[in-house]
Amino acid sequence: MTRFSGLINPLHSLLKWLLVASVAILIVPVMLQIFSRYVGFIPRYIWTEELARFCFIWMIMIGAMIAVREGTHFDVDVLPSLAPKWNAISHIVTHLAMFIFAVVFLYFGYQFALFGADQTSELAELPMWLIFIAWPLAGAFWILFLAEKFAEDFRVLREAVRS
Amino acid sequence: MSPGEASIVLFGLFFLLMFLRVPIAFALGLACVPVLMFEERLSSMVLFNETFKAYNSFILLAVPFFLLTANLMNAGGITDRMLRMSRALVGHFPGGLAQVNVVLSIFFAGISGSSTADAASQGKLFIHAQVKEGYDISFSVAITAVSAILAVIIPPSILMIVWGGVLSVSIGGLFIAGILPGLMLGAVQMLTVHAYAKIRNYPTYPRATLKELGAAAMVSVPAMMTPVIIIGGKVFGWFTATESAAIAVLYSLGLSLFFYRELGRKALHEAFLDTGRLASVALFCVGTASVFGWLLAYYQIPKALLSTVTSWGLSLSGTGFFIAFVFLVVGCFLDAIPAIIIVGTILQPLAQSVDMHPIHFALIGIVSLAFGLVTPPYGLCLLISCAIAKVRLIDVMKDVMIMLMPMLAVLILIIVAPDIFLALPRWLSPEFVK
Repeated sequence: MTRFSGLINPLHSLLKWLLVASVAILIVPVMLQIFSRYVGFIPRYIWTEELARFCFIWMIMIGAMIAVREGTHFDVDVLPSLAPKWNAISHIVTHLAMFIFAVVFLYFGYQFALFGADQTSELAELPMWLIFIAWPLAGAFWILFLAEKFAEDFRVLREAVRS
Repeated sequence: MSPGEASIVLFGLFFLLMFLRVPIAFALGLACVPVLMFEERLSSMVLFNETFKAYNSFILLAVPFFLLTANLMNAGGITDRMLRMSRALVGHFPGGLAQVNVVLSIFFAGISGSSTADAASQGKLFIHAQVKEGYDISFSVAITAVSAILAVIIPPSILMIVWGGVLSVSIGGLFIAGILPGLMLGAVQMLTVHAYAKIRNYPTYPRATLKELGAAAMVSVPAMMTPVIIIGGKVFGWFTATESAAIAVLYSLGLSLFFYRELGRKALHEAFLDTGRLASVALFCVGTASVFGWLLAYYQIPKALLSTVTSWGLSLSGTGFFIAFVFLVVGCFLDAIPAIIIVGTILQPLAQSVDMHPIHFALIGIVSLAFGLVTPPYGLCLLISCAIAKVRLIDVMKDVMIMLMPMLAVLILIIVAPDIFLALPRWLSPEFVK
């Protein structure tokens, strides 16, 4: 299991780095857009707005991938505190539900990305699959990260049952 | 699938999954999956099309920008300057440090549009410091969380930008309309702190001399200029809401890097990473909430739900109370942005049917949802404050409820006397208010 985490950690770091980059890049087209309106020598590119939006979509999807590993997607905790064994089981149920959603994202999201293969964006004429691929990719990363969660859940469950 | 079956599947599955601690974003999305599979006229494409459409929005871009502004303010020393100013202003009132806590939230709210960022930064600044000065921990956590909600009521505000974008209301008009209720809620909170301090004998600071006040004002003036730039720029039409948020980022970055010079490379990296984390988690949920809302609209479930309410024949105030009640209840379980997307669009025809002014409707909704940020089980500001103080939510509930009572009075005033709150936008920007 540690070997598995060793495989995932670099991926996690890479995603974090991409997330920082996407936030940083996000500001540039918006600033270009404002300044070009008031400053003559900056050309008025019409694709700035589109580029900002596409960068934004990637930021959301990358952040949503990371949040599954870090367990930071918002949830509502109304369950009373349970015995360790039942707590572990409830975590497995939670992660199983998320796993189903991840499979939906991967399988149907792949078709969605194929659907975008022959589309281009309105302004910058980027191929749309460059954007749509974020959905199946999110599904794939979730499956990977959830596998790690399952391993941990079952380890806790085994320990709880033994003691 | 009939509308009745669809609504049972959607709501039933959502609540079941939420109860099982499945993250809200996933629960909303998963609830839609069986409906999309079994309804022959729909396909899974709806899931992707609607999430894509939700994220492909220039308006929502303001969310990461305002979070980034707040993070840069904290990392770059802007918050410290405003803290000094707040202390010089109200430190000598009974319950000095807690008063400073509220006043700093008001200043912070004028620059940042995010309550969660406010709760996170002020939780670290105040909770420990207040407890050390002899304040009760539950009081300290509660006042930090409750004052943080001002950030989404005093402009700029993420919620107002989302509301304006989703329900087609002038964002400039909403910004101006938020000033008065925000300041009133802040004043009410200061009175509450005053009462607590008198009863429980909380400490106070010596009054700042005029010289100290002047010095504090001098260093904080550049920071205090931010709201003027953001709100002025929006109202005078120099830039759009999203652009004003980007300007706020640039301004706070410039101040931290070149004026106060406290922002290191590591802190900068952390600010960006934190922003990406929080913004994406909040916004991912917006996407799945949009699918959920789209399906509700597809089966015309809102219309069915509202037909009974319309038949009650409520007056303008009655409708206002009903809307506030719905948002208060929904705010306990949902984050404010998905709540606007799902519930705001459901209630809009009801508000229109009694000729409620769109800005009045927005104020009731936004203030009620802001209260939802501190009501359990899902009150983000309260959860963050509790996590920082390492206390259980149950232990601070009593103080939160006490503090919410006078604030509810302000909400009631907003419902029954809309003209007081519409006067300022009517005067400052008649073209936004129609």
